[in-house]
Amino acid sequence: MSASLSPLLPKEDAREAALFFVVCALCFLAALSGLVSRSAYAAADAWTDEVTGQITIRVRGDEAALGQAVEITQATPGIASARPITRGEAEELLQPWLGAGGVPVSLPLPKLIAAEAASTANASAVIDALKKSLGAAGLDTIVDDHLVWSGDVRKAIDLAGLVALIAVGLLGATGLAVIAFATHATLLARRDIVELLHLSGARDTYIAGLFERRFLMLGVQAGALGALLAFGGAAFILYLLRQSDAQIWLLPQLSLSLADGLILGTSPLIAGVASMIAARVTVMRSLSDMV
Amino acid sequence: MREQGLAADDPVLRLDRVGLSYGPESDVLADVSLSLPPGSLTFLTGPSGAGKSTLLKLAYLGLRPTAGRVSLFGVDTSRLNRRDLAPLRRRIGVVFQEFRLLDHLSAYENVALPLRVAGAQERAYRDDVIELLTWVGLGDRLDARPATLSGGEKQRVAIARAVVVKPDLILADEPTGNVDEEMGDRLFRLFRELNKRLSTTILIATHDLGMIRKAKAEVLRLADGMVVRVSPQALAPKDAPA
Repeated sequence: MSASLSPLLPKEDAREAALFFVVCALCFLAALSGLVSRSAYAAADAWTDEVTGQITIRVRGDEAALGQAVEITQATPGIASARPITRGEAEELLQPWLGAGGVPVSLPLPKLIAAEAASTANASAVIDALKKSLGAAGLDTIVDDHLVWSGDVRKAIDLAGLVALIAVGLLGATGLAVIAFATHATLLARRDIVELLHLSGARDTYIAGLFERRFLMLGVQAGALGALLAFGGAAFILYLLRQSDAQIWLLPQLSLSLADGLILGTSPLIAGVASMIAARVTVMRSLSDMV
Repeated sequence: MREQGLAADDPVLRLDRVGLSYGPESDVLADVSLSLPPGSLTFLTGPSGAGKSTLLKLAYLGLRPTAGRVSLFGVDTSRLNRRDLAPLRRRIGVVFQEFRLLDHLSAYENVALPLRVAGAQERAYRDDVIELLTWVGLGDRLDARPATLSGGEKQRVAIARAVVVKPDLILADEPTGNVDEEMGDRLFRLFRELNKRLSTTILIATHDLGMIRKAKAEVLRLADGMVVRVSPQALAPKDAPA
């Protein structure tokens, strides 16, 4: 006689292998979406934090106008620093577009001032005051506080986040439907066992528990593998992007932060619990048809 | 095993004008009334297709009647919801005609199944299950899967499973249909012993006229959708299988 009792629900190798693959693939896609959108959010946050409080002033006019604009900017309350951008720095900024050969001397470059607000909290008020002071001095200037840029970036990232969230939701719903279908198929295939247990006096919760445990384990294992593959996949994609010559100004930073760990750690648990709930609902509904 | 709720003279199983039909023109059972007092041993016979298995199915709560009332242990089951039927089922041992053994479980595990469902710990029932299987002549086949057992061996496992919980009511559908006469006698002696020693109420649906005549127990005959009490000697050969 065997040392331990066999499980009441036998293993369904072929069916469960296919289901394992599907749950694993869904978890992989969901975790990958989560990781990438989380990384994109982190990168956007870092970038917008960096530009907030930075002010660029373009001066139309001669060197005297530039000097006067620098003086007015430095004198404006709330401005921590202000200095003109040299031609060398401007050429460096233009290098990605015009190449490393240098900018022709005959090409006029805009006269720019790089300034920084003392505090990011009241940057808008400082910029408004600066604009008034420059206008009062009769200088033709454009003050750029990067809010438009960072706002656009934030909007794009928010939209991408929403798309990722919808994708995760759809993947989750698909997973639940697949598991419910698989549970139903297992139930039909093992109706003999279910009926015998039912007629032996097993309560519905006892029978549902057999399926719940089976699908909980399957969901957790498949989810763990999917999450692991998602991490590997995300790291590989970013590695390839970093190896390319393309300039990726908003490259997401993949790291094992708490948020990434949370996404990777909760994916298997969510997959397992969702599998368990789908199995329970399916079994309880099917059993309610019996006497 | 016995539970409260059954008065001394309440029948263990009572069918009052029970009917079962699958449509307007297809009555399986028309108007069946019967009553099994506690500790009785009764045979149910009748021609093939008369509805003996269906009647047992109603009795073990595998079906609900479309007319009439089924009472078990003094409880009208039509008044109970699904949830309350499970404890009643645990007081019934059923020997199914087609055995209904689980292929992935060993003979030992199949017999222990009702105990497992009831939440018993293996160490508490292990020796009893082995003793019971030994008694039905399968002491050396504890680990055997049903696929490797003969029809008679499967039947003995099915009977052991039905009696292992020492139920208040045993419903057996052709329990000796696949065993030789000697084993048939032995299995019947097991039923008789349970009936006498533990006052287990037993209803056996069978075509085995020889067993019925030897048993000297009450006999009910099911024909044309109704049950009538008959004497064993009055049974015609048509009650035996062709």
